[in-house]
Amino acid sequence: MLPIEVSHLVVAYRRWFKPPFRAVDDLSFVVREGEIVGFLGANGAGKTSTIKTLMGFQPPTAGTVRIFGMDATNARARQLVGFLPETALYSPYLTPYETLRLYGELHGLRGRQLHAQIEALLEAVNLSHKAHTLNKNLSKGMLQRVGIAQALLGDPKLLILDEVSSGLDPIGKRELRDLLATQRARGATIFFSSHELAEVASICDRILIIHRGRLIAEHRLSDLAGRVESLEDYFIRTVQAGRDILLEEASAA
Amino acid sequence: MTRTLQITRALMTAGLLETLRRKDLYVVLILTLLLTLGASAFRAFGVQGLEIFVKDVALTAIGVMTTVLTVLIAARQIPDEMQRRTIYPLMARPITRGQLLLGKWATATMTASLCFMLLALTTLGLLLTLGVGVKPIFVQYVILKLLGIGWLCAMVLALSLYMTPAANVTLSLILAFGSGLFGRLLLMAHWEHDLSALWLNLLYGVLPHYDYFDMSKKVVFDWDLAPWWVLGAMAGYAVLNGGAWLLIGWLRFRKQTIG
Repeated sequence: MLPIEVSHLVVAYRRWFKPPFRAVDDLSFVVREGEIVGFLGANGAGKTSTIKTLMGFQPPTAGTVRIFGMDATNARARQLVGFLPETALYSPYLTPYETLRLYGELHGLRGRQLHAQIEALLEAVNLSHKAHTLNKNLSKGMLQRVGIAQALLGDPKLLILDEVSSGLDPIGKRELRDLLATQRARGATIFFSSHELAEVASICDRILIIHRGRLIAEHRLSDLAGRVESLEDYFIRTVQAGRDILLEEASAA
Repeated sequence: MTRTLQITRALMTAGLLETLRRKDLYVVLILTLLLTLGASAFRAFGVQGLEIFVKDVALTAIGVMTTVLTVLIAARQIPDEMQRRTIYPLMARPITRGQLLLGKWATATMTASLCFMLLALTTLGLLLTLGVGVKPIFVQYVILKLLGIGWLCAMVLALSLYMTPAANVTLSLILAFGSGLFGRLLLMAHWEHDLSALWLNLLYGVLPHYDYFDMSKKVVFDWDLAPWWVLGAMAGYAVLNGGAWLLIGWLRFRKQTIG
């Protein structure tokens, strides 16, 4: 069963006195088990809208989104998924420990098993010393670590991470890379969006590039090695070319 | 069912911790105590029959504070999660939107009920210390108020999914405090316009009636216990009408884009 299967996805937003805005336009792709896939695109390309439909936060306007063969809007599909949103601010009146306990219990974990997982995750993201400090007294980077820990609760088979390294300092980014490598080693599939292309190049097996809601490039990084100077150059050229293609299509229409 | 209970318990625990740490409750408690002590201070002037006055002030203060607290607590349950974007990690868990709505309703009801109980018991203790007694109908007053809190939370939570937090709080407070007035206005209109009696009755039936859950005047004037079937009927009204409000909320929430 494929962890992610997106077929002809359209996400459109209604607007007053204007045709609907298509944030995602006929997007299709799959993510296979054990892969680490980077989901790239300029601001407003449709990454977050796609991720929202993957998580069932938004019903697709058209097309299908399946997570391990289940419709993404089905709550059971999320049993195997860990998610880190781009800018999640956790309840300021709870501590990291309480935050993780809440999400763990919502995930169906309980008792000693949950306590042991929370302790291990706080240790893994270097937050054990702040476990009982209110979230409102934590820095942005520390909150991002709380977010990473909550995404890993329940040992998810699929991790969906939106702008994962946002707010992390260089040490935090290094630790995150190590953490993702650990997740991969235990067989987790990882799908993440990021603007940090150096990070993408160092972690991913495959990249998907979208522009204006459409998939304009899909490559294994091993195929690109030696053919492009850097992922950043390739990304900029591809997005620029995609933009040109779309402009040509628009003028032809 | 067990899963829904587990989800509800987790949300309730977190909600309770948040409420206690926000410290809103302590402000309300101090205000109520000050009002009750202030009313009892009239004794110093030798005014007779102050028991009724002190009880009236105390129960009115409890009623107003509880209603305001309940509306504020229920109104922020889901909008706060949306605004803080904490709704994402919540909904990323294997829980349905119906379970989240139910959990949030239970959280708001439990938190507001605890606030009310704290206010009621503290005020009762203060009244007894001041030598102002209350009859057993106080117990029925508490039970009815708790039912009213559950009903009010359902209404405010449902409205919070249709309008902005500010609009919801304003409308909910108008509906809660004005519901007694609606009845009287409709009754007056009823006398004036016989022909429209059916429509007026329908309108009266459709309008929310938080006033049904208030027995404070009966406590103030030392009534005997009301028949228990009346409380049973009110429990039925709270369950059916509150359930209808939750259903209205769910119809909106189940397809709503999050964020």
